[in-house]
Amino acid sequence: MKAYIAFTKKEWLESIRTYRFFILLAVFFIIGIMNPITAKITPELLSSLATEGITITIPEPTAMDSWLQFYKNVPQMGLIVLVIMFSGGMTGECSKGTFVNMVTKGLKRSTIILSKFTMSVCMWTISLALCFMISTYYTAYYWNIDGLEQILQSVACLWLFGVFLIAILLLMGAIVRSNYACLLLVGGVVVTLFLINMVPRLQEFNPIRLTSGNMSLITSEMAIADFVYSISITIILTVLSLLGAIMVFNKKKL
Amino acid sequence: MNILEVNEVSKAFGKQVILDGVNFHVPEHSVFGFLGQNGAGKTTTMKIILGLLQADQGVVMVNGERVTYGQTKTNRYIGYLPDVPEFYGYMKPLEYLALCGEITGMKKNECKLRTEELLDLVGLEKANKKIAGFSRGMKQRLGIAQALLSEPKLLVCDEPTSALDPIGRKEILDILYKVKDKTTVMFSTHILSDVERICDNIALIHQGKIQMQGDLVTIKTNHAKEGIEIEFSKIEDLKRFQKEAKDLANVFKGKEDSPLAIELKASNMNELSKVSLQILAQNDIVPVKFMCVKPTLEDLFMEIVKE
Amino acid sequence: MYLSTGLEQLQEYLPLLLPLIIVELVLMITALVHVLRHNSYRFGNKVMWAIIVVVIQIFGPVVYFVLGRGDE
Repeated sequence: MKAYIAFTKKEWLESIRTYRFFILLAVFFIIGIMNPITAKITPELLSSLATEGITITIPEPTAMDSWLQFYKNVPQMGLIVLVIMFSGGMTGECSKGTFVNMVTKGLKRSTIILSKFTMSVCMWTISLALCFMISTYYTAYYWNIDGLEQILQSVACLWLFGVFLIAILLLMGAIVRSNYACLLLVGGVVVTLFLINMVPRLQEFNPIRLTSGNMSLITSEMAIADFVYSISITIILTVLSLLGAIMVFNKKKL
Repeated sequence: MNILEVNEVSKAFGKQVILDGVNFHVPEHSVFGFLGQNGAGKTTTMKIILGLLQADQGVVMVNGERVTYGQTKTNRYIGYLPDVPEFYGYMKPLEYLALCGEITGMKKNECKLRTEELLDLVGLEKANKKIAGFSRGMKQRLGIAQALLSEPKLLVCDEPTSALDPIGRKEILDILYKVKDKTTVMFSTHILSDVERICDNIALIHQGKIQMQGDLVTIKTNHAKEGIEIEFSKIEDLKRFQKEAKDLANVFKGKEDSPLAIELKASNMNELSKVSLQILAQNDIVPVKFMCVKPTLEDLFMEIVKE
Repeated sequence: MYLSTGLEQLQEYLPLLLPLIIVELVLMITALVHVLRHNSYRFGNKVMWAIIVVVIQIFGPVVYFVLGRGDE
């Protein structure tokens, strides 16, 4: 337990001193502001483009447009930056050899995986919370917030998907030695999930639903009950990935 | 008691056999020199001892416990200094050692005292900057400090002196010698003078096998042939002596630096000197120099490696 | 007439734009300082990274910190 706290503290220090956390916060801050801006400005941009004589009817932007942006930008930009930022966590230390001193000091390899998971999830949580709070604040400033409960449920789904990606990232990082191979494999997993999503019967079970079904949840097209299978599968896959990462890493040549 | 026992350990990378039934043991409270040429398998052996590599065959025991690959519990007895120690460059030495201390479960106060003591010992007490800016020698010293932090029963150093200048080497060797009372030191090297300086016991690895091992003094007296060096006043004397003494010695060699001198080697030293003195007397040769040559580790090493 | 609506619009968007610009600037300056104070990069050189960081908003600094920053 003491070793776990120590190594988690080391992960924290590393994220601060290598600017990783700073970048994440900045990116998610910017995404948080961009969401309401894009929602507000897009119609006006379109109308200013319209030349005289042609009338385009553009509906007034609403809070929904802001949330639409949020659930588009966070998975598309935020998650990609998150994955890229954390992709070197395992492979970098393996190839540089910094694990050797730690492991030969009796640090359990499972502790390394769990510490990295803990810190990554913490940072993802803080970043997402920041992004969400900013978006919520401005959405409330320009429009109003209806159905906060659904909105929170929806963002929790997104959060869970991020946690799942972090676990996959650790598993791949334990398997391969190169940063890029790790990124490629994680990308491969996401693409596979999208392919599976083309089968309508499987959509209900697919973790992808946690990032694609958010708006349906907010507009009440779907209820949280429709996400139960997807959530369960995602949690199971996350746990399995972590266990797999520990098993693979235990046998890895350092 | 033996702190480390390596029994019949073999390891191959693909078809290339690196270790072929390696056997040796390290007694407690000694300085153990692990000798071998570059690529002889020293690092591989050490990595197996630390559970960083899996042996194809054989058993390694540390302090009476078996070493397992991957999760290596025996590492709590060992302090390890890799050949090129790598640290977290964004940390300062104090922070790094504090991390190491917490991982090994040391108490905070104890760790702090020990850290100061160790930084003093390795001469880094004033180096309060990020490790990224350290030189190789500084990293090596910090490596020793981190390896000694938890007061291990066995300190394993992989080529600790190879990358350093003569002064740095001497300092590292002095440090290793100093800690001998508290722990057992095992270090690998290809620099023979390092071994002669501080080792009690040695093992020599060549072509994947331990060619000899034991305490340094015994090895020297048993294995290496002693010899005689004779320097003549003129070349005719040398030639005459060589002709007469043809059957006497099994190793004959001229000295490169002085053409008038030769070196003789035989297993029976007394007999050798007696007979050569006789030959000198019978042929009326007065040598400039007649001396017994003590075997050096280098001779030994060359003998085994050349075979 | 057009100008006044422009100003009005600007005023409306100011609470959004101001923090955005500030964060972008902070990101840019942090990255620029890092580029100028260090000499080793995984690839590229000082001038290249300085330009990338200043010219390309948001992505420039991110790419620098993720891909370009050398091991101190």
